[in-house]
Amino acid sequence: MSTTPSTPASGWSNGPLPANVRIGENTLITADYAFKRFRTKQADALCIGSHCTMDGVHFAIEQSGRVSIGDYCYFTNAVLLCELELRIGNYVVVGWNATIADSDFHPLSPAERIVDAIACSPLNQGRPRPEIAKRAVVIEDDVWIGPNATILKGVRLGAGAWIEAGSLVTRDVPPGSRVLGNPAQIVGEVK
Amino acid sequence: MNPDRTLPWDWYPGRVPDNVAVDPEAYLETTYSFHLFRSAAADAVRIGRGASIYLGVMFDVGPKGRVSVGEFTLINGARIICDAEVSFGDYCLISWNTVFMDTCRLPTSASLRRTELASTASREPRRLESTTIARPIRIERNVWIGFDACILPGVTVGEGSVVGARSVVVEDVPPFSVAVGNPARIIRKLDPLKTENA
Repeated sequence: MSTTPSTPASGWSNGPLPANVRIGENTLITADYAFKRFRTKQADALCIGSHCTMDGVHFAIEQSGRVSIGDYCYFTNAVLLCELELRIGNYVVVGWNATIADSDFHPLSPAERIVDAIACSPLNQGRPRPEIAKRAVVIEDDVWIGPNATILKGVRLGAGAWIEAGSLVTRDVPPGSRVLGNPAQIVGEVK
Repeated sequence: MNPDRTLPWDWYPGRVPDNVAVDPEAYLETTYSFHLFRSAAADAVRIGRGASIYLGVMFDVGPKGRVSVGEFTLINGARIICDAEVSFGDYCLISWNTVFMDTCRLPTSASLRRTELASTASREPRRLESTTIARPIRIERNVWIGFDACILPGVTVGEGSVVGARSVVVEDVPPFSVAVGNPARIIRKLDPLKTENA
C-alpha cells in the first residue's frame, strides 16, 4: 500500500457535481438538496473558489443564472436564488437561513402577474413568461451576513459590511458599515 | 429515552449526549437536534419536566455552551447558537425558525475574521470555533416568541412578554411587554393579572 500525499478533498457530500459547476481545492458542499433546484444551463454556471464551506446551501439557479463565490467563504444553510447573477467575493460569511435573491421572480404590475400565473400553471402550453426584473447582487470581500437576513436584487454590499441577523437589505451598503432592520438602515461602522 | 440514550421514536440514528439531562416527563422529538452539539460542559443542556423540544430545534452549542429549558416550555423550532449560555424559563412558547444567538462566532474585525476563516478551512469537521466574547441570552418565564424572530447576543426578554413574528430583538425587553418589529420596539404593556376569558 502506498500513501500518496493528498491534496485536500473537494466536492459534494452526495455525489458528483453537475458538469457546469467548478470548485477549487478544499471546498466542501453538503446536503442532499444542494442542487435540487439547479436548473441553469450556462457553462461554468457555479464557480466556487478554494477552502470554502458550503454547509446545507441551496443553489437554486435558474436557466440563465450564474453564481461566483471567492475563496475562504463559509455559508450555513443559505438560500441562493439566482435568475441572473450573484457575484460573491472572498472571506464572505453567510449565516443560517439567510436568503440572497437577484430577482422578485414575478412581475409587479397586476396585469402581467395574471399572464405570469397562467404561464406558470399546468395549463400553459409552453408560452413564455413575461419579462421579470433581475439585477445582479454583488457581495464584496469580508462581508458578514447574519442568520435569517435577506438580500434583495440589485444590492451591492461593500467590503467588510456587517449585516445583522434578520435584516432585510433593499439598498446598497457602503463598505465597512453595519446595518440592521427592515428595511435595513445603517447603524454604525464595523469596528 | 432508551438505556443507550437513543429515542424509541427517532428518525435519526443518534444518541442524546451524556451531558444532556432530559427530564423523564419531557418530550424530545429527535436526536438530530444535537447534530451540531459539541459542548463539554457538565450539565450542558437541561430540559425540564413537561417541556417539549420539537423537530426544528438545533442545539448548535460550542465547547463551553450551556442551554436550559424550563418546565412546560415548548420549543417548536429554534436555532440555538450558543457559546456561553441561553436559558428559557418555565411556560415559554417558542415558535418555528427562531434564532437565539449569544455570539456571532467570528470577530467583527475583517483581518481577524480572515485568520479565523483560514484556520476553519483546515479543521475537521468544519466548525467555527468562537473567537469572540459570547453574551448570554435569558428568556424569562412565560415568554412567547413568534416565528422567524431573532434574539441577538446579550438580550434578556422579561417575564410574561411577547415578541412578535419576524421581530429582531437587539436590546432587553422589560417584563410584561409586547415587542415587535425589526429592530423590535415595545408597542404595549400587558397586565399580568388580567385574563381574556374570565
